[in-house]
Amino acid sequence: MLAQQLVNGLALGSVYALVALGYTMVYGVLRLINFAHGELFMLGAYLTLSATSAWGLGGHPAAGPLVVIAIGVAVLVAGVGLGLEQVAYRPLRRSTRLAPVVSALGASVFLQNAVMLTYGPRYQVLPENLVPSRSFAIGNLELSVLQLVILGVALMLMVGLYLFVQATPFGMAIRAVALDQETARLMGIRVDRVIQWVFVLGPALGAVAGLLIGLYYRQINFTMGWTYGLRAFTAAILGGIGNIPGAMVGGLLLGVLEALASGYVSVAWKDAITFFVLILILIARPTGLLGERVAEKV
Amino acid sequence: MDRSLRVMFLAWVLLVVAAAPAALAAEPIRIGIQGPMSGQWAYEGDGFVKAITLLAEQINAKGGLLGRPIQIVTADDQSDPVQAAVAAQRLVSQGVVAVVGSYASSLTEPASTIYDEAGIVHITPSSTATRLSQKGYPRFFRTCFLDDRQGLFAADFITGTLKKKRVAIIHDNSTYASGLADWTRKYLDERGAQVVFYDAITPGERDFTATLTRVRAANPEVIWFTGYFPEGGLLVKQARSLGIKATFMAGNATNNPEFVRIAGVDAAKGSVIVTEPIPSDLPYPEARQFLADYQKKYGEEPASIWTLMAADAFRVIVEAIRQTKSTDPGQIATYLHRSLKDYPGITGPIQGFDQNGDRLGTIHKAYVVNEKGQIVPYQG
Repeated sequence: MLAQQLVNGLALGSVYALVALGYTMVYGVLRLINFAHGELFMLGAYLTLSATSAWGLGGHPAAGPLVVIAIGVAVLVAGVGLGLEQVAYRPLRRSTRLAPVVSALGASVFLQNAVMLTYGPRYQVLPENLVPSRSFAIGNLELSVLQLVILGVALMLMVGLYLFVQATPFGMAIRAVALDQETARLMGIRVDRVIQWVFVLGPALGAVAGLLIGLYYRQINFTMGWTYGLRAFTAAILGGIGNIPGAMVGGLLLGVLEALASGYVSVAWKDAITFFVLILILIARPTGLLGERVAEKV
Repeated sequence: MDRSLRVMFLAWVLLVVAAAPAALAAEPIRIGIQGPMSGQWAYEGDGFVKAITLLAEQINAKGGLLGRPIQIVTADDQSDPVQAAVAAQRLVSQGVVAVVGSYASSLTEPASTIYDEAGIVHITPSSTATRLSQKGYPRFFRTCFLDDRQGLFAADFITGTLKKKRVAIIHDNSTYASGLADWTRKYLDERGAQVVFYDAITPGERDFTATLTRVRAANPEVIWFTGYFPEGGLLVKQARSLGIKATFMAGNATNNPEFVRIAGVDAAKGSVIVTEPIPSDLPYPEARQFLADYQKKYGEEPASIWTLMAADAFRVIVEAIRQTKSTDPGQIATYLHRSLKDYPGITGPIQGFDQNGDRLGTIHKAYVVNEKGQIVPYQG
């Protein structure tokens, strides 16, 4: 049973991690919590629904079309993310710290309502069997193809992002801006361009996470961005907000923690236990598990 | 006075004299209907009036009850608890001997106090809150069932029809779902079945694999879920992908095509749904006759089971008046409590009423999701 709970938790946790990356990257460069990020994740799920029904998918596995849809959805949501930065955040960059937070909350409410009015308020359901609904039994452990796909895709994207940030010149620019915006600017880094890229990468990853969750549970609704966004945000803090590997570790850990809490204690106590552990960890390590000293800038 | 006028006067006198005893004897029996005829539940109140008007007309056409016509008196409570008390006062002041109504428990509750003080027989066809019948009102009855009856049916179905012993019960902590889960556990215990798992999930969540992994470890033969259809669909889908083969059963809040849509036909097929029958599925001759008459008079069939429950409430009142040859509310209530046994109702046999006025027995039915994903009556 422990192995099964771990697998369940890891599949869910890898999705939290993908969403958490969006929070942590934006915080890293702007010191801003993008409260509309959960809605971008939700938008990914809804665009997947539209794409699959426009394509007439359903009833049988469709690996090829799904890859195309994933790329398309990621590009579209990245575009929304970019627009959000232009409209809601850039004009407020030199203002007080509170203004962008309110603007982010406003954007979140706007996106939720836009989706509700477009798709209707009731639960929507994605077509079945897009990924084979088979599962493999290893002893007492059931591994579904879908869980493997989710874990595989999430890990692939996370490793890709990590390599991108660590090993390319552009990744170095992101890290430099995260470290100190002014100095980076003096070094000739185009800070605005870097910030735009962060608002492309985060939403794109969030959109793929939305697609994966849509395939996993099939039932989606316009408020799902809030629930998952809150957990992913928590995961980002758990790992040390602003830290990219931290968001990955935080997400996986949160998923496993939730699975164990609901598996061995009770589902009703799941959130209480999860957040209690989170508080304990933050007391011991106020900057999160992998967080470094966050220099307070003036 | 000329001749023709004299004849007319004489005829008039004769007419008055002849009519007087008939008019006296035909003092109508007044029966009240309290229901939401406007407001959010107007559809249900409208069904009450249509069903009972139809039955009263049929009785009057055959010479009435105890030789007297039945007169229906209606009061609209506007789907509002405050108006429910006003409506009850109005019916009391109009001298009704019995009242059918109201629809929702929140409407029936304030009215029941007023009817109790006035000493009137009061039968609700559709208010299922447990506390309504626990106030000790001696003239309060229901033709609907509390959730304990659904639990009884589920327990009988699991141990009798399916012949299974090991049951996992999952609810969602709502008053309705945890109540139904508790009742089912009680009746399963009495029948010697074993509840191997009992816990709640959180409504609105999507991931139930942690709970289901524990369910799998408990190795049940049946999973009985008492919550609503969105979670029900996800539960059965995730249970199947965890390799759980147990029969999935769910209560009347899952009786919705969305359940199958969310779960997918592959996962949902074979799931059993326990619910009140839909009116057109009632096999009883009384039901067939009633539905045909209703269709003929109103050009539509009642979609709501509560319309039929209201018809049965009226019919047991008529039966009590007929048998006791009295319109005294005390005698009617005593008859319903003690003497009414196995009365052929439209919604199924009415075995009788217990000391609280709650209907005995159960009319719940089992439905199953077939290979095409349709919800059809369970065979076999």
